[in-house]
Amino acid sequence: MELFLARIFDGLSNGSTYALIAMALVMIFKATTLINFAQGEFAMFGGFIVWVLATQQGIPMWGAVILGMLISAVAAAGIERTLIRPFDPADHLPLVIITLGLFLMINAIAGIVWRFDPQRFPELFPSGSVFSIGNASLSWYTVFTLITVAVVAGGLTLLLNKTKIGLAFRAVSSNLESSELVGIKVGPTLQFGWAIAAAVGTLGVCVFVAAPIRQLEPSVMVSGLIFAVSAAALGGLDSLGGSIIGGLAIGLVQSIAVPYLRIPNELSLGAAVVVLMLVLLFKPSGLFGTPQVERV
Amino acid sequence: MANSPRFEFTQGTAGYANYKWLGWGLFILLLVIVAFAFNDTGQITLLDNKYAIGLPRVTKAISFMIAILGLQVVAGFTGQLSLGQGFFFGTGAYLSSWLVADHNWAWFTSLLVVIPVCFLLGMAFGIPALRIRGLYLALVTLGLAAVFPSIVQLKVLEDQTAGAAGKLTDSDLVPPDWLPLDGAATGMQKIPLIGKFFGDGDLSGKEEQRIWTFFVMVVLAFICFKMVGNLVKSRPGRALRAVRDNETSAAVTGINLSFYKTMSFGVASALGGVGGMVYVAELGIASPGDFTQLISIFFIVGMVVGGVGTLSGAVVGGLVIAFIPAWASDTQNLPGIPERWLQGPTGPLIMGAMLIVLTFFLPGGIISGVRQIKAKFVRILPKMPALAGSTAGAGTPPPDETTVTPSDPSGDA
Repeated sequence: MELFLARIFDGLSNGSTYALIAMALVMIFKATTLINFAQGEFAMFGGFIVWVLATQQGIPMWGAVILGMLISAVAAAGIERTLIRPFDPADHLPLVIITLGLFLMINAIAGIVWRFDPQRFPELFPSGSVFSIGNASLSWYTVFTLITVAVVAGGLTLLLNKTKIGLAFRAVSSNLESSELVGIKVGPTLQFGWAIAAAVGTLGVCVFVAAPIRQLEPSVMVSGLIFAVSAAALGGLDSLGGSIIGGLAIGLVQSIAVPYLRIPNELSLGAAVVVLMLVLLFKPSGLFGTPQVERV
Repeated sequence: MANSPRFEFTQGTAGYANYKWLGWGLFILLLVIVAFAFNDTGQITLLDNKYAIGLPRVTKAISFMIAILGLQVVAGFTGQLSLGQGFFFGTGAYLSSWLVADHNWAWFTSLLVVIPVCFLLGMAFGIPALRIRGLYLALVTLGLAAVFPSIVQLKVLEDQTAGAAGKLTDSDLVPPDWLPLDGAATGMQKIPLIGKFFGDGDLSGKEEQRIWTFFVMVVLAFICFKMVGNLVKSRPGRALRAVRDNETSAAVTGINLSFYKTMSFGVASALGGVGGMVYVAELGIASPGDFTQLISIFFIVGMVVGGVGTLSGAVVGGLVIAFIPAWASDTQNLPGIPERWLQGPTGPLIMGAMLIVLTFFLPGGIISGVRQIKAKFVRILPKMPALAGSTAGAGTPPPDETTVTPSDPSGDA
């Protein structure tokens, strides 16, 4: 029982970081039905910027996180303007290839600039545990990651429902052509989506590597992207709330199902891929997504 | 020269046949020169950087070419973006090295297992592709590629795959005794002026093996390219392209979508497996770190840089991904750039940049650029269709041959 509880706590904290990256993916998918393969690398790079600001520039930790989120939002907006917007949003192949190119480039640049040595990330949340039952203890880290997810989800909901650009964003994601016809500037609206996604992703990586057992390195998000994608697909690729549920579910699968089914630990990534495949086979729209209707 | 009258050949005439033969002749001559001049890991020194151009790397490029050829079938011709080609490449490599090292099979007999196994695996993973489309498929296949290294490092498989250390195979392809490789090398060294490029003295056993491996793999690659070339020119090949261009209308015209999609996945995976066999036969070791999702993405880079949906693009792409990352890491000093920035993963950086730059400026890949230049000098006119009742023109080609496009895989000028 104690072990079970410990695994649930573990799964919740992993799952909430997957949920954050999944939300970033969903932001872009909602608007453009494009999956940004470089999303994990954007986030990793943002995490390094935060690390540089906090450890080398001496900016207080949370200030560095917010500054890092701003910087990566601006950078992502720039990338969207120069590399993504020139292409027809309906033709996915060139866009996927561009994001794959970005994946390679950003990962390589991080490797060249910061090398591949894992770096200790400064603490983001108070250490210690809230309470413990035997060996199972609920750490402050788990509590605060869950709070972070809730705050981000709430913030995004407010942003999308209460602001003018949020309204434009929802219009574009519901129907790109019609919203162009009613005078919404589609390009800047999508750019806004990219910027928000990069900021949320950066926060996700900061929370992810702030865990006492993890360190920051350029390859930190390579498999993280696959977990996040599985989470997003499970929840429905166009549903923000779904991505939270999906992220927590994938985290729990990873920490509960994998040990109890005696799947070797190295294959937990495989478990995520299997979940992804099953979801796409039997319910391609995910749990909370809107089914896609194909017109001839 | 740019505005000089271009050469014109009409398909089916003697002139066209001569042109083709000249192209192939030059190509084979090039292969021979490469094999004999660079068997002894050659080096070019440029700005104090040493760039290796050894024959083993060319053989490695051949293995990539075959894998990219498979990717062309499934992604280029059928339009199913697969990021999982590295999975089958790795499967082929591990399967054949297991058969060769632990069961004393010959390299080429291992293909008898590798091809069907990879074909069936590919079909199995093609079945989700019937329902999973576009980007989702790319995601699933990327996941597949990412899982491969942890599969081969599983405790259960450790006896077969040797875990993290990598599977060693010390069996080489030994040239048959009757082949006068040594004599040929000595003969070339006697050619005036250029003889010195072909080394000095006799070939060692290792060098003979390299040359032999290279030529055998060239023949294997040629067979693969010829088969795929025939496939895409045939009725099934047109069906594949119809699936790519518009699935719905392909289905409406009576094309069995599920059959052709799973088949193209099967063919692509089988080719990936063959590529893996070539890779491990050349390298002698299959290690899990070589078959991460990075190699799958590199195959995509090769396909895009060469030219999506072309056979010759696979050749160019294989060379690009075999040489450019290696040369990038060989580059240790460039004027104006601090040394620190030249260390680390410069190869993937250049690959990513190439992917983006080419998508912007040359979406058809290097091959489309080459074709544009070639079109300034050489023009191939299609054969006039024979009119009913009239006699066929000079050259009298076999009447049942339908000429579509000149599809030699190797760039013939």
